[in-house]
Amino acid sequence: MAKEKLLLLKNIREANYKGDLDSYRKTGGFTALEKVLSAMKPEEVVEAVKDSGLRGRGGAGFPTGVKWGFMPKGTGKPAYLVCNADEAEPGTFKDHLLINEDPFLFLEGMIMGCYAIACHHGYIYIRGESIKSAEHLQRAIDSLYKEGLLGKNIFNSGYDLEMTLHRGAGAYICGEETALLESLEGKRGQPRVKPPFPAVSGYNACPTTVNNVETLANLPFIINEGAEAFKALGTPNNSGTHLVSISGHINQPGVYEVEMGVTIRELIDDYAEGVRDGKKLKALIPGGASSNVLTADEIDIPYDFDSLMKAGTMMGSAALMVFDEDTDIVELAYRTIRFFNHESCGQCTPCREGTNWLKHMIRDFMDDNGNGPMLERVDRVAEGMIGTTLCPFGDAAGAPIRIFVAKYAADFRNHFAQ
Amino acid sequence: MPSFFLDEQQIEFSQGESVLRAALRHGRDIPHYCYHAGFSVVATCRMCLVEITDMGNGRPMPKLQASCSTPAAEGMKVLSLSDKVRTAQNQVNEYLLVNHPLDCSICDQAGECTLQDVAYSYGSGLSEMNYEKRVYGWRDVGTYIMLERNRCIHCSRCERFSREVEGTSDFGMFLRSHELTFDTFEDHRIMHKFQGNLVDICPVGAITEREFRFKKRVWKLKKTESVCPSCSTGCNITIDHHRNHVERLKPRENQAVNRWWMCDEGRLGYRKLNARESRHLEPQARVKGKLEPAGWEAVYEAMANKIEEISAEGDAVLGIADTHATNEEMYLLKKLLADCFGGARAYFPFRPGTEPQTDRFLYTLITTDKSPNTQGAQAIGLLGDTDDTRLNSALAKGPKLVILLGMPCAGDKQVREAVSRAELIVLIATEKSAWDDVADIILPGLIYAEKAGTFTNKHRRVQRIQPAIAAPEHCREQCRIFVELREAMGQPLPLANARAVFEEMGGSDGPFGGLTWAEVGTLGVPLNGEKTAPAGA
Repeated sequence: MAKEKLLLLKNIREANYKGDLDSYRKTGGFTALEKVLSAMKPEEVVEAVKDSGLRGRGGAGFPTGVKWGFMPKGTGKPAYLVCNADEAEPGTFKDHLLINEDPFLFLEGMIMGCYAIACHHGYIYIRGESIKSAEHLQRAIDSLYKEGLLGKNIFNSGYDLEMTLHRGAGAYICGEETALLESLEGKRGQPRVKPPFPAVSGYNACPTTVNNVETLANLPFIINEGAEAFKALGTPNNSGTHLVSISGHINQPGVYEVEMGVTIRELIDDYAEGVRDGKKLKALIPGGASSNVLTADEIDIPYDFDSLMKAGTMMGSAALMVFDEDTDIVELAYRTIRFFNHESCGQCTPCREGTNWLKHMIRDFMDDNGNGPMLERVDRVAEGMIGTTLCPFGDAAGAPIRIFVAKYAADFRNHFAQ
Repeated sequence: MPSFFLDEQQIEFSQGESVLRAALRHGRDIPHYCYHAGFSVVATCRMCLVEITDMGNGRPMPKLQASCSTPAAEGMKVLSLSDKVRTAQNQVNEYLLVNHPLDCSICDQAGECTLQDVAYSYGSGLSEMNYEKRVYGWRDVGTYIMLERNRCIHCSRCERFSREVEGTSDFGMFLRSHELTFDTFEDHRIMHKFQGNLVDICPVGAITEREFRFKKRVWKLKKTESVCPSCSTGCNITIDHHRNHVERLKPRENQAVNRWWMCDEGRLGYRKLNARESRHLEPQARVKGKLEPAGWEAVYEAMANKIEEISAEGDAVLGIADTHATNEEMYLLKKLLADCFGGARAYFPFRPGTEPQTDRFLYTLITTDKSPNTQGAQAIGLLGDTDDTRLNSALAKGPKLVILLGMPCAGDKQVREAVSRAELIVLIATEKSAWDDVADIILPGLIYAEKAGTFTNKHRRVQRIQPAIAAPEHCREQCRIFVELREAMGQPLPLANARAVFEEMGGSDGPFGGLTWAEVGTLGVPLNGEKTAPAGA
């Protein structure tokens, strides 16, 4: 196996690391926080993160420092930092590794993030199904309160911070930041109209930033080692390392920490030890179910935001799903659209009706009842969902289906009615 | 004022206004379902998509935008008719039709259905959806409305109305994705008095009015603009009628009075307009103690003779009007008494009523004064007080001649007895009442749906009513009765109709001075020199 570049998983990869507060402290934990609270102004933290080029790891890849910079000052309203730990994208399981194995790394990052945007009450929104992780995280938060690392006057700096863990009710769409905020406010979880963006009117109509778990977990390194050290990793405009969840027909599925820019082929062959049972690769979904599929010929590209964008897909939450030569793409398309149909919040017309209609049609292909006009219709119905909905869900559901049809039409033709 | 371009047409907008709202204000229609100016924007139907080729800064928007949630910007260039937009809108409408039943032929909404209209102008006429449609069935959700969820297109207007405007949050969103439904809780029945508005805002036939279900195809209805007389608010309405039969009353937008809304009490007022049994249908005169039908000319002649015989003046004559009479009728009554009976005076029962004290504008629509023109009577100068002191002291003087307009104080036995001692009692009324036992002469007038005139509402705003349906054959407009009566008495007043009366009122000093019929128009104006509080302010 190729060697991982360890920033985030440094502790976790230690054989005897227990993940409690004491062991985190022994590895040098909270030195960054102490440095931030005692010697840095909030703006300096924002600048450091801007300089590091850190991009959000939740899916959109938006520069974190720039996002923080959007937070208006002097509004008279409290500012909020909400950590998105919903992690519901099919194929993604990196955030839960951090939460379960090394929660204090990301909590330290979160406290620094709160400090940077002058937030005095942070929220962590964790998906409803993750009961064990939520309990674990709550224990971690409790121990921080006990140690005086949360609450009033942290490190005698005069900075106060409360932190609340909120469990969602198990809806994929609540990973979309405005739906998450609706849900956090106790409402039905469905995306809001933008603008106003959360930075202007987010949680309880106050300025709010929503950051992913992994994004925040990068902060201790950036503060300790400096923005330049972080920038030195990865490729230009895609700095740092990132966690890749590799799953599917692969010999060693799991989370791998690699520098941005390692190629997809390297990830599959060198890190995850190749396709299972020595079979050939047929298809690869690079960034969770909502990213467009790549064929076996298209994987010699660096695995970073920009390269994948250029290849017509996206890195999303870095969830690599590998499919071998025996995979029936129609089945894969059906599983994908069934998921999106089940998870659509239902408020926008194209997504509500389109996902259901697509599901029915692809089901027909599964039953060997397809035909040419129906295949065209699948493409047409999927196309109508792209770019016409309130949130990116329509794109996320429609685009992969279109690409499945475009790249693997033969698989669909195999299911034409005889 | 800043402006943007919608398909090359320059459109002015105010700061913060959305593209759709500004377009609608300028009479441009971009098809939409979920948008309603009365509540928050959710931008979920995705029908009002437009292409923005220039955001005002020279750059285009990469995706189509929902015009209801896109704020207009100076110099913005918006296309609502481009191929890209038509294709997207066509597609959205196709999605909506995927699960919408094809039951227009039995749907009450057909003819005034937004979905139907858009389908006609956009649809291909061919459905490619060959799977079973979603089926829910009818639900009896409220005392005034029925819910057919199969027809629902999930615009969420009902939910937002219940939550934001009405306040009881009767409707909620249940389940998600294609199973999403708008419904009430099973054991919850909607009881409030504003349910009819849910029918109005529903763009399709998902919420229908019990009173109107399966009764009439809407394209047969003629709409006449009028004002609801059921209370002193004077909600602007249309009277929807067919073949002289009123089928329903619908609110008409007037931001200064009722915005888009009206109450169910007012809507139910349509029933009375078709009633005949309770009406006076021909002139009657008392012969040997008994009321007998008579012709108009004979009645006028007999009245004129009797009046001459009594030759009463001043305090010996009095008029009492009720507050259902129009401004013009009250004016003519007052003028008749003043001109022909030596300064005799007209009275009215002053019952101003109260408006609910609440932040919810909707609830202020129902006042306790169940007549439309109390303020008018006051403005014209009829004499009245809340306990009828002045009327009672006038009656105590033993008047010889009493002219009753409408049925004022019909429930007050004391007043009836005092009036009954007069030598001649003339009743100008539309409906049967306790006054019939007292009156010597009954002259049948017209109800508000049959005549023209103006009412003055609780905020002293003058609003016009118009004839919608034909009156029963032998009934006559009250204004005409006054004019004809004066002619019979030899003191003619050349005013042809309510409009002429109003113009005369407008020509004189006083609260109506300076107002013209045309100025009142369809939306009304405040009384001279006054400012009515804008709705909800």
